[in-house]
Amino acid sequence: METLRRFWRGLVALTRRRADDAELSEEIQHYLDEATEAHLADGLDPAEARRAARLELGSAAAVRDEVKSSGWEHQLETLFGDLRYAVRVLRATPTFTLVAILIVALGIGAVTTTFSAMNAIVLRHLPGAADPERLVQVDRRHPSNDEGIQSSYESYDFLRRETSSLTGLAAWSKATFVLARAGEGVAVYGNLASGNYFSVLGVRPFLGSLFTSEDDRTPLGHPVLVVSHAFWTNRLGADSSVVGSSVVVNGAPYTLIGVAAPGFHGVFTPLRVDAWIPLAMQQQLRPGRDLEHQVWLWTFGRLAPETTREAARAELEIQLARYIAEGSEPASRAAYSAIRLIPMNGLPADAHAMAIGFIGLLLGASALVLLIASVNLASMLSARALARRREMAVRAALGAGRGRLVRQLLSEVLLLFLIGSVGGALLAVEATALLERIPIPGDVPLVLEISPDARVFGFAVLLSVVTGLVFGLAPALRASKVDLAARLRDGAQGAGARRSLGSQALIVSQLALSLVLLVAAGLFLRAFDRGRKTDPGFDATGVATAMFNTESWGYDRARGQAFYEELRRRIEGLPGVTAVSFTNSTPLAFATSGGQIQLEGDRADQSERNTGHPIQLTLVGPDYFTAIAMPLASGRPILPTDVEGAPRVAVVNETFASRFWPDGSALGRTFRYLGDEVTIVGVARDAKYGSLGEVTPAFAFFAIAQRWIPNQVMLVRSTGSFEALRPLISDETLAIDPLLPRPTVITLAEANAVVVLPQRIAAIVTGVLGAVGLLLATAGLYGVIAYSVGRRTREIGVRVALGAARGDLLRLVLQEGMRLALVGTLIGVALALAAGRLLGSLLLSVSPSDLLTFAVTVSLLVLTTLLASYLPARRAARADPMSALRLD
Amino acid sequence: MTRSPSQLPPPTPPSTDLIQGTLDMLILKSLSLEPMHGFGIARRIEERSRGVFKVNPGSLLTAFQRLERSGLVTSDWRQTPNARRAKFYALTRAGRKRLEAETEDWSRRVAAVARLLEGEA
Repeated sequence: METLRRFWRGLVALTRRRADDAELSEEIQHYLDEATEAHLADGLDPAEARRAARLELGSAAAVRDEVKSSGWEHQLETLFGDLRYAVRVLRATPTFTLVAILIVALGIGAVTTTFSAMNAIVLRHLPGAADPERLVQVDRRHPSNDEGIQSSYESYDFLRRETSSLTGLAAWSKATFVLARAGEGVAVYGNLASGNYFSVLGVRPFLGSLFTSEDDRTPLGHPVLVVSHAFWTNRLGADSSVVGSSVVVNGAPYTLIGVAAPGFHGVFTPLRVDAWIPLAMQQQLRPGRDLEHQVWLWTFGRLAPETTREAARAELEIQLARYIAEGSEPASRAAYSAIRLIPMNGLPADAHAMAIGFIGLLLGASALVLLIASVNLASMLSARALARRREMAVRAALGAGRGRLVRQLLSEVLLLFLIGSVGGALLAVEATALLERIPIPGDVPLVLEISPDARVFGFAVLLSVVTGLVFGLAPALRASKVDLAARLRDGAQGAGARRSLGSQALIVSQLALSLVLLVAAGLFLRAFDRGRKTDPGFDATGVATAMFNTESWGYDRARGQAFYEELRRRIEGLPGVTAVSFTNSTPLAFATSGGQIQLEGDRADQSERNTGHPIQLTLVGPDYFTAIAMPLASGRPILPTDVEGAPRVAVVNETFASRFWPDGSALGRTFRYLGDEVTIVGVARDAKYGSLGEVTPAFAFFAIAQRWIPNQVMLVRSTGSFEALRPLISDETLAIDPLLPRPTVITLAEANAVVVLPQRIAAIVTGVLGAVGLLLATAGLYGVIAYSVGRRTREIGVRVALGAARGDLLRLVLQEGMRLALVGTLIGVALALAAGRLLGSLLLSVSPSDLLTFAVTVSLLVLTTLLASYLPARRAARADPMSALRLD
Repeated sequence: MTRSPSQLPPPTPPSTDLIQGTLDMLILKSLSLEPMHGFGIARRIEERSRGVFKVNPGSLLTAFQRLERSGLVTSDWRQTPNARRAKFYALTRAGRKRLEAETEDWSRRVAAVARLLEGEA
């Protein structure tokens, strides 16, 4: 209460400063008068009485200041005063100010850009949801190895009914389908979602209404659909009359009941969701599947009020144990008895950790740029402080204390940093917009939304204040150390030697840090290059791919198989096509899946506990090895005769063969997979399957015809041009069923590009950062050398007068620059060697101490520093001895 | 930091600096009798303490501002008996309460210190 009143009175005082001043003066005057009168009464004569009264009071101005400076608003006034003065000082040297602001903007901009990405991808709570911090992703895990499984509908429903620590538990799964309007099909990335999905999230409708638990009660009871705001805008022409209208989803009529609030597009934000359909419609979208017991759902919930995450986790684990005890699910799942609650920040937990690692690396790189920029600015400020020594001395002589001077200098630096942070924020807006446009290869509904929000801007300002204080304090302290007498005499040589040592250290650290960035960029570039040149063990050139999901069109198994058979027949007939095959995962696109096998010698209980030998696998059709030109070492490929009912077969890779049959007898052997006996009919050469950095796994290719899967990738090898083939593939698809969405046809090489995307992004980002860092460091070096040449004008003059050749002078100055470059390089190389280890598997086995990278970046650094010191050196060499000696 | 007024040696030897924090209480006490202007209060404190305490005018005026902002005193301009215009301060209800509390607190402390000193002696 009192604090509040003081605050208010302070505000009032601010607005009526002049009146208060007058009042105070009058009060002091009155005091003086009364005191004088009292002394008169004591018998002093008038002059003495006045003098005594003045002595008692002290200076009236001092009293006034004392009173005025006691209110809090006085601090504000001083601050404004400092800022006004700072603006004046900075405007007096526009070039310095502009360069300084630019440097700060670059540094702050670099960090703000990466922080913006980090904020959007891993820090931000789910956009579009109410109270997102109370939302938790509910993951079921293995307690010892932390491996997770999704939920079956039954287990989800049990937890939803029984839990008391969540006010709601919702479930969803991906479901792509075709939405037909006016006779044209559109592929929709949708979600099947439980009825309480929107209410648990607290998402509001933008138009119409969202579905509720009522819509999710009877199977197939409510064919309704909610679309995202983006889908409504981009695909439905933002037409509000579509709400309530009828649309066709996989051939069945649905009612489009609403549009979700803008900004909300699903629970995993980097994956776009276009539409939501109640789980109860599952039979229609996923015909013929037992989704009651299969694990296919993601679940999330809202913590009950006053419930901590830990308490909720414990309670859910008890409920899960009860469910497991009921014994209605396969015994192999009983081991997954732990619950993990993860904050909902738009990514699955594992992807979240990976993203943090990757973006953290980039954040570190951009922090280096800010460090370089700040060091650069600090050395500029030091140089400037030298030039302002006389000003400081005058101010000190006029009675400004050291604290006052430091405060003044700091406010100048802070002003620079604040303006710079605005520039940095603008830079971040532009840079993130550019990054958002990096094309993502392949056919994935990825959305990258990393533009800065209020938190990011707040971060930029805070960051600028902190760096401003950290890097402004030392120069301010140094500049304010006033030795009055010496300063007023303006002894130019004063602390010269020490200052130049300090600034040399600053330059060296800038050079070292930019070398670290350049090395990182070089290593990523090498990794990217190596990635592209790595022989993946197959040949992607001349291969086109397209993905299909017959289930998403509402096809049942028979219709799906017929579709793929018909498609193969039609594509094989196209001109130039030499092989057509199908698989369930695009080769080398992060898309392999894992499984476990049992061998003949394994003990029986091992298979029961589902603890077989881990392998990686894919399903492939006939001609697969021809289509992607993956050579076989022995045996035969998958053939058209390997169909259902025929003995189950697999082709395995060499690693598989030699790991389980080191004697080389793999061909013809059998193993068990998912309860079936599988015979090895061929051995393929080792290749890259999921990613370039992978350790070659034991890999098996099963016959796709023996394990029906509705989503398949077609691989088409042709001798003709891809551009000519692309429309033909898509036309042939629609010729089978005109209501199908047009497939996205890309080259296999394009699809494979996704595996070097992290290297590409890292190379681009660190490359830009490294260039900026080098630019700053070189400019700094130039400044230091030029300054030192300026200081040594007389020395140089003497040398010339004594007969030094121009070449000698050139060498003299160049040596100074080269010495700094050498020390910077040595430290930088050491730092880069240490930092390189952090890059780890991102380097795709390029050595972190790659000689070529180091050679190139070091020579780049040396060349630029040579240039930066050559320019002042040339000026020194051209010095006219007479004018040099005549100076002062 | 800068403008601390040059401290002059006090004209009379036995004056003592006010104990930190007591100035506010003494001002409130003086005002509890009647509204007064700044010099009057300074004079009063000096006289009542028989010259032991000498009030620094700067501290006094600062204290007025502080007290007024805290709502413990109010001020208005009035004529003095010798026909000068002066800023008179008066105690508010909150001020009176504060004075009571502080007086009580003070007496307790003084008693405690006194006991301690006696005990040590």
